Amino acid sequence: MKTQHWFRSRRVRGIRVAVVGAGLLALALSGCAGQGSGGGEDGGSADGKVSLTFWNGFTGPDGPALQQVIDDFNASQDDVEVTAEIMPWDTLYQKVLTAVAGNDGPDIIAMSAGRMPQFAQQGMFEGVDDYYEDSANDSAALAPAAIEASVFDGVNYGVPVNFTPMMMYYNKDLFEAAGLDPEAPPTTWDEFAAMVPQLTVDDNGDGKPEQYATALGDHETVPVFMSLPWGTGGGVVSDDGKTSMLGEPASIEALDFWVDLVKNQKASPLGLSGADADKLFTTGKAATEIVGPWMTTGFDEAGLNYGIAAPPAGPDSDAILADVVSMGITSGADDATKQAAYQFFKYWNSKEGQITWSSGSGFPPNRADVADQVTSSPYPAVFGAADVVDRSKILLAGVAAGGTIGETIFWPTLQKALNGQGTVEELFSAASEKVQAELDK
Amino acid sequence: MTLTDVAPPQPRTSVAPRRRARGPASRRQLTAWMFLAPSLIVLVAFTLYPMAQAVYLSLTDYNLIKAAQFIGLDNYVELVSDPAFWNAFWNTVLYAAVVTPVTVVLALLFAVMLNQAFFGRTFVRTAIFLPFIVSLGIIAIAWSFLLDPNIGLLSYWLGQIGIVTEQGWLTDPRFAMPAVMMVGVWKFVGFYMVIYLAGLQSIPADLYEAAKIDGTNPWQRFRNVTLPLLSNQTLLVSVLALIATLQAFDQIYVMTRGGPFFTTETLVMLIYREGFQELRFGYASAISFVLLIFVFILSMVQYGWQRRRAVTY
Repeated sequence: MKTQHWFRSRRVRGIRVAVVGAGLLALALSGCAGQGSGGGEDGGSADGKVSLTFWNGFTGPDGPALQQVIDDFNASQDDVEVTAEIMPWDTLYQKVLTAVAGNDGPDIIAMSAGRMPQFAQQGMFEGVDDYYEDSANDSAALAPAAIEASVFDGVNYGVPVNFTPMMMYYNKDLFEAAGLDPEAPPTTWDEFAAMVPQLTVDDNGDGKPEQYATALGDHETVPVFMSLPWGTGGGVVSDDGKTSMLGEPASIEALDFWVDLVKNQKASPLGLSGADADKLFTTGKAATEIVGPWMTTGFDEAGLNYGIAAPPAGPDSDAILADVVSMGITSGADDATKQAAYQFFKYWNSKEGQITWSSGSGFPPNRADVADQVTSSPYPAVFGAADVVDRSKILLAGVAAGGTIGETIFWPTLQKALNGQGTVEELFSAASEKVQAELDK
Repeated sequence: MTLTDVAPPQPRTSVAPRRRARGPASRRQLTAWMFLAPSLIVLVAFTLYPMAQAVYLSLTDYNLIKAAQFIGLDNYVELVSDPAFWNAFWNTVLYAAVVTPVTVVLALLFAVMLNQAFFGRTFVRTAIFLPFIVSLGIIAIAWSFLLDPNIGLLSYWLGQIGIVTEQGWLTDPRFAMPAVMMVGVWKFVGFYMVIYLAGLQSIPADLYEAAKIDGTNPWQRFRNVTLPLLSNQTLLVSVLALIATLQAFDQIYVMTRGGPFFTTETLVMLIYREGFQELRFGYASAISFVLLIFVFILSMVQYGWQRRRAVTY
């Protein structure tokens, strides 16, 4: 084959270009270096107020309620100005460390108390024990479980934003259609299991039900599945957070029961994320869902005829999964910032603050002494009822490896079990060793 | 196209002495450096420095807030015996081994077809190229919706012809990897197609005429004229595609997050997880460096192998 010179080569000669490009680049580079002010540690502002940036993930209908409390606080005094930056939780977790390391982070960060130890261990938070020591802050009125949730290694790193048990929402219409009493939701695991054949409906017989008894997420979700071993006296880790319990017979028994229910009885679709589970219940394709009060508004807007009850109790324990969101102060805060943040914390957990928050968000108040004053919404009373709060338990409290245990051990192992890649016993026994290794790190 | 295509520096004696005499050597060098400066500054600031930094970090225990602790080769030692690393490694190899050839072959196929004149050609070309312009994150979200087992249009259509998955396509371990692979191919095939189209249009028509006179059929013309003359494009496209697939991240992050149970976790996903979720930036840097070496070696092998087939006009 012949090759051709069909490209006409062109010799470019005698070009003298001013180095405009380099100049522009230098400008661009210096521009980069100049950024990074705002937010951060300085905190002060022109009018003498301490300004605090508050990162949190209340993107739902609870966001306006949070903003309302902050507005009230800002209006109530002249020393501190709090500005909320609301973003999805996963975005917050991803951004926060780089922001703090770059000195451009928030002053106050809210996060699940379950995630706090991991970040506290990295040195991201200031201890706030002196906040609780100051009796003027009236911390005695707060639910003890909410306070203890943010303790890690003997130091408390957070003040509760909210404390909420997960309750079972059930679709009364679907119960009625299945011939079940819409006023008698299941109270035990066995009662629930007995209802599954009626509530899971495969109309066209293609093996994929059109309606499921429940919507139980197996990734990126409220860790309801992780809390199920409590029901038989098992758990993911021991209460002191030092020993893995996943391999114990009680935990295996519970997981076996639920994996069988989901996988073989088709009580729930496989592979649901939290958002998928919510969607399934919202669209009336799942008869029950165990979730927090933040979904109430969405279910109302969907026009669902639903009831709220305590989740079915296990044979040995009726513990209810609860979650606490705490707010902490980023490390390196100066004294003025810290005191300003304490002022805000105090207001947040004051009677006034809690009534506003609870009424607007549907979360139960952090303090029992205002429960009867939250009357504009029925849900805080349901979620904050004394017998519910007493049964509440926090998952992996104070365990620094909590996030890792969930993301890289529990959920993947559960997915394997649900996909039939081994028995519950062998999979979770192996997972238990990994959990122990994380705890020992 | 590459550095090696540039003519080697001439021996000193061949440089025109009269020209050199015009100004001192230092001045000529200065001019050269000034022309090079913009690229060099960018290269050093945004490539070499971060790379050196990553190599250093890979020898440390570092979480962004506390100062980095030098721990020598510990991260690399851990890496060798880390099942998560090997899982991600083999997933990456599988992804690249499937997606690279499929993308390149499809791109060539589309290019040859769309090089013919027919009604609506521009539309089809645009349709194939369009995914490349759209952000991969958005594409991945769109596909996640299409594949959603409950509300997904594609799941619905597949259901109509009797193909049902009880769980979602993206959470079923059998289908998750093929799904992210498909999106990867769909996204990039248009870009490579355009490179091939450019190549096709630069093949002189007289070659085809000569081949026709010799009595060849279309397949022979494709095999003996088109394909060899496109080998420059094939080299470029396959090296680019391989590097891109070895760094697959966006569609996986959005569509599956590496799940179910890490069946779609690639090396870049693992780097992200170790760095930004586990806050182990030293370990993540070590994985990045291993990936860099791996990509470098594969690219060099591929380049060396295919360059022998390169055509010069």
